Amino acid sequence: MAPFYFVLWGLAAVFGATAIAALVWSIRRGEFDNLREAALSIFDEEEPPGAVTDRFPGSCSGTEPLP
Amino acid sequence: MTATSQPVPPAQDERERLTRIQIDRSCRQTVVWYYTSAVFWLLAGSVLALIASVKMHTPGFLADWEWLTFGRVRPAHLAAMIYGWGSMAGVGTLLWLQARLTRNRLPFPTLLPATVIVWNLTVAVGVGAILAGYSTSIEWIEIPPFTAVLFGFCIAVIIAASIRMFRNRESRHTYVSQWYLFGAIFWFPILYVSAQIFLHTPAAKGAVKAAANWWFAHNVLGLWFTPIGLATVYYLIPKVIGRPVHSYHLSLLGFWTLAIFYNWAGTHHLIGGPLPAWLITVGIVGSVMMFIPVVTVAVNHHLTMVGHFHYLKHSPTLRFVVYGAMCYTAVSIQGSLQSLRSVNEITHFTHYTIAHAHLGVYAFFTMVMFGAIYYVAPRLLSTEWHSAGWIRVHFWTTATGMALYWLGLTYAGWEQGRMMNDPRIPFLDIVRFTVPWLWSRSAAGVLMTAGHLAFAWLFWNMLRRRGAWLPGPTLLSWKRRSEPRMEGAAG
Repeated sequence: MAPFYFVLWGLAAVFGATAIAALVWSIRRGEFDNLREAALSIFDEEEPPGAVTDRFPGSCSGTEPLP
Repeated sequence: MTATSQPVPPAQDERERLTRIQIDRSCRQTVVWYYTSAVFWLLAGSVLALIASVKMHTPGFLADWEWLTFGRVRPAHLAAMIYGWGSMAGVGTLLWLQARLTRNRLPFPTLLPATVIVWNLTVAVGVGAILAGYSTSIEWIEIPPFTAVLFGFCIAVIIAASIRMFRNRESRHTYVSQWYLFGAIFWFPILYVSAQIFLHTPAAKGAVKAAANWWFAHNVLGLWFTPIGLATVYYLIPKVIGRPVHSYHLSLLGFWTLAIFYNWAGTHHLIGGPLPAWLITVGIVGSVMMFIPVVTVAVNHHLTMVGHFHYLKHSPTLRFVVYGAMCYTAVSIQGSLQSLRSVNEITHFTHYTIAHAHLGVYAFFTMVMFGAIYYVAPRLLSTEWHSAGWIRVHFWTTATGMALYWLGLTYAGWEQGRMMNDPRIPFLDIVRFTVPWLWSRSAAGVLMTAGHLAFAWLFWNMLRRRGAWLPGPTLLSWKRRSEPRMEGAAG
């Protein structure tokens, strides 16, 4: 059954290889050139950094800042 | 008139703003269906869990019906929670996140809701088959093999939808959450198909089957639930508190180290088993290497939250998500230590392992999913949650219930392991020692189930739109110090 262990571990290595392939792809595409901008990409004009977007229901009027 | 370049930025803004509502609305049917099904399976799984838990200290309970014997109820609980609750809540959140992060409408408006129906039928057939006595008796994959085809169909549609959204993405950057989500949807199918082949064909027999089993079972946690959970945390913490991730660099390091190390860890479940020592050592090395992604994620989430912990008082989403993120750190560090042979020889085959498993799937993943549903559902249905009080009840019952569960079984399991390693102690004495702690586990189960009922009640009222109506593009958005930054961003 020893060959089977190598099949299993070969598969595990394939998983690792997909990760490394994705890493190479993203470095080539310049995904890591501007990390600050990437981190800010989840914000937009309506919900800019600084906008708190979740509250318990009925706990404020809608524009009131947090304490 | 030549300066017509001026109106362009406002037009873009308008489009971006409209798209966010449209994105959320486009997810409405599919994601609400996924969430509703998830909540149903959460309740069903809780009932099965309570029955199984009570049987541990009161073996005569419901013992006259063969379909409610422990050997069937316990795997049925697992299947309902893993494939019903966890995966369905996870897929709903995954699709919503993909749509938001790629700034695309959710595609396939008929095919994706169809996957919900197929998925539900599959889980129902699977859980029913286990209760009827047709379990495969392979842990984590007890549901009958033919269900793989049905899950395969659903996953194929979900992958197609994700790829389509990614190809049409309007965002220039691939956010860290997307890496995790792609990890989950590409690795899980390979994992699932390989496991089906290894476990249900003569490809693997005897002890080797155990290696394939635990490679699969551990990876369902590590490469399916963990990436979906972390993707959600990486999106929701910054979004709720309005502050970008402390170090985007660390977040990427965390993802790629997880991608490379996690899938080697599975064989630590077989320490002491009849397998080659090197095979298990590889698993231990993989588990210990997991310290790198775990510590990077923990440091990053903590530093993102620093100075904002008082928001926990005000945001239901943040409470659940931060509780989950902290438990991710705890469960992972515990897991790495537990994989060491010296620790494992005490904890293996004891209640300690059960506490550890629930710390991962419940305290981390389930709590993060609760947080996600609290954030996503109001945006899909344009309705506020109808009661803050019930949300608090949900949080405190599940949070304290989980803490009680973990403390009781961790202590009992450790002592149980030490006693089992001492040949002078009669086995029955060890069993008697654990009984009070098994009662504490049932009490914890009652608390958590009470929380689930509170949550189901809230969700039911959300579906009936009993809460306040929330119109407009800035759903639930409370701006703080936003004016100067907005100008800065626009300029």
